[in-house]
Amino acid sequence: MAFVIVVLSLAAVVVQIQYAEYMNGNVESLIVDRYINSEEFYYGQVQNGLYRVSRAIEEGKEVEGEPDYIYFAADKEKTFGNTKWSEREFYEQYDQTFYYLENGDWKAGENANPPRQYTLVDNTEAIAYVAFTDEYMARKQLEWEENRAVLKPLALRMALGVSLALLLIAYLIWATGREPDDKELHLAKIDAIYSDVLLALFLPVIGAWVISIGEFAFSRNRLFDGLGMNEVFSMSVTGGATVVAVSLCGILFLSLVRKLKSGKLLKHSFIFVAFAASYDFFKSLFDGRRFKGNTHTQSLFKRQWAFIVASASMVFMTFMFLFSGVLPLVVLPPALEMLIIYWYIKGNNKTFVEINKGFDESLGEQMKAERMKIALVTNVSHDLKTPLTSMISYVDLLSKEEDLSIVARDYVGILSEKTNRLKNIVSDLFDLAKSSSGDISMEMEMLDIKKLIEQTMGDMDDEIGKSGIEVKTRLPQEPVMILSDGKKLYRVLQNVLDNALKYSLEGSRIYLELEDRDGKAVTIVKNTASYEMNFTEEEILQRFNRGDKARTSEGSGLGLSIAESFTRVCGGELKVSVDGDLFKVAISFPLS
Amino acid sequence: MDNAGILVVDDDREIAGAIEKLLEREGYEVKKAYDGLEALDALVSGNIQLILMDVMMPRLDGLSATLKIRESRNIPIIILSAKSEDSDKILGLSMGADDYVTKPFNPDELVARVKSQLRRYMLLGDMGNVSNSNQIAIGGLLLDTDAKQLKVDGGQVHLTAKEFQILEFLMKHAGMVFSAEKIYERVWKATPYSVENTVMVHIRRIREKIEINPKEPNYLKVVWGIGYKIEKI
Repeated sequence: MAFVIVVLSLAAVVVQIQYAEYMNGNVESLIVDRYINSEEFYYGQVQNGLYRVSRAIEEGKEVEGEPDYIYFAADKEKTFGNTKWSEREFYEQYDQTFYYLENGDWKAGENANPPRQYTLVDNTEAIAYVAFTDEYMARKQLEWEENRAVLKPLALRMALGVSLALLLIAYLIWATGREPDDKELHLAKIDAIYSDVLLALFLPVIGAWVISIGEFAFSRNRLFDGLGMNEVFSMSVTGGATVVAVSLCGILFLSLVRKLKSGKLLKHSFIFVAFAASYDFFKSLFDGRRFKGNTHTQSLFKRQWAFIVASASMVFMTFMFLFSGVLPLVVLPPALEMLIIYWYIKGNNKTFVEINKGFDESLGEQMKAERMKIALVTNVSHDLKTPLTSMISYVDLLSKEEDLSIVARDYVGILSEKTNRLKNIVSDLFDLAKSSSGDISMEMEMLDIKKLIEQTMGDMDDEIGKSGIEVKTRLPQEPVMILSDGKKLYRVLQNVLDNALKYSLEGSRIYLELEDRDGKAVTIVKNTASYEMNFTEEEILQRFNRGDKARTSEGSGLGLSIAESFTRVCGGELKVSVDGDLFKVAISFPLS
Repeated sequence: MDNAGILVVDDDREIAGAIEKLLEREGYEVKKAYDGLEALDALVSGNIQLILMDVMMPRLDGLSATLKIRESRNIPIIILSAKSEDSDKILGLSMGADDYVTKPFNPDELVARVKSQLRRYMLLGDMGNVSNSNQIAIGGLLLDTDAKQLKVDGGQVHLTAKEFQILEFLMKHAGMVFSAEKIYERVWKATPYSVENTVMVHIRRIREKIEINPKEPNYLKVVWGIGYKIEKI
């Protein structure tokens, strides 16, 4: 709002100035009350008149044209003037505007303002009288006052406009970048432009403004003192151009102000950024900071610089000896250079050997750690499986005992169920540990994932039938070939489908789709959950997380984790997404 | 046959004891050994028709003992191991074992496997003279293409016509993988059009009839994403 007012008031001021120009107004009339005391009168009329009368005397002919003043001039040879009077008294009656020539010098009448400049008459015998009539002065005074009457409101408006604009500019400078709610400084989009670029943008804006004003405003011929169609048109063009120019300048200026307030005016300039970047680039070449913390590479870096500097100085020395004429000494720098090369290569080789040693060591450490991890998984697995084997076997034996009480048989049933569940968990845990540690033997081959899906569906026919949930498939006609491990990928699909069957709403459908999406074979399994899925996509893939927090069903809770991990080792990607009650698993593999 | 002697080798005495009980219930005579060396001794002294062998044992491990036994004896050896990787199974079988069961095992399945191996061993005489070109023998499977009969470990198994044709086709080309379309083309003699499920269902039925554990088949295997095959044993 304030911005618009500033723009409009400044444009108005400019138009007023132009208007004043058209009105032929003289600003002096605002300050000096009486025309007689004005500079305009003094320089424009008095000095000019005296000069022309002097010229007339020297050239011996009358003043050309019809001067505004009355005069009389005479020397030894002739006399001339534009009145019939030759007596001094006649001219002297206009005492405030009377001037006379005496001994080659212009003097003022008793009450007239004295002439200041012109004393240029060689003819010391000549006399002249010049005066402005009272009628003339009265007319001029009237014009002077009319002029003032016109200019006064204009000047007032201008002053008002300028002071309003200044006030609002001050306000804008204070307010820009601030919002009523907080004390933070907010930068606008334009502030992303570098400061110096913003500054440079002023030039074309102001340039365009000056040119357009020059084209339209002041080139008009002023035929009348009043306003014609031309003038009105030109004034509106000027106003419009000014509005545009002031708006643009204002935007640029306020942006600069915001940057200044945020303390980024200098730092966020193209020149500064360019300098900083190139400085940093060259510095990074020479200061070796990239090798900080790596003693070996740092010593290589330093040695490299020593070598370059030493070699350069050797070349310099060679030329010095050549030109100074000490020819025998010319052999010295090449010999030294040989030594430097020897030192350089030897030092580098030593460092290289050390680097290799360190590299081998860390590689060895890594392998060792990896082997230990694998051994741990294997051992723990063995240690879990052995007692579990005993448990399962004895529970089985117990269940086959004939003389068990009903209660005991009940208990054995529970034991049997739980040991089986434990068996599944241990087995899944082992698979997961193996696949996520990367220690898993892979049999990658080209296979048709469409066929694999069909095979899996056929394999799980029973489970699907029993669940009472329909699986709708949408598969392409053509084979979809990917590179993967078929057995593991089957496990992935089995787990995902199992999961969908287990947690689907009764009577709902599972949708299984395969499509080619951006060069990837994407398998999507969607189902409607039978419970509220109050977990995130990440949580469900974490180990031991289950959809239903109650943990009632018989699974290990590792199904999706295994699917995710197996997909990864097979070279694919498994993503889970939850949208309301819709649970979606997307498995993607690059197409071969 | 019911009084066949079985040697159970496991360093975990409870497991060895449990297996002993399981097998005794089935009427077998059971001997126990707690490491490979004891197993070798027991084998020399007694009447033993089958060995159940653990892998990780002190003194002499199960794989080495199997290798050692194979130098002189041809009796069935079933490896019992906590190692469940495919590579472990392949290693065990290549050492001369006849079957591989992972711990923890299902007791019923273990007994079934023991029975299967014993039957096959006892019938070795019969199986040996597959001079008849109408018979195809793979592991415990014996297929008579003329009589349209299948025996598994000596026992007759009834197959439907299509099941028999599928099995015959696959057994004739044991070790080769065929897509469902190919199998359909050969067996149904018709143009295959979305037949994956039909073939898969048949394969599953065949498995249920010939495999001890259809979930971990020994003979009829799915090559995921490619097709089906009969393992060449």
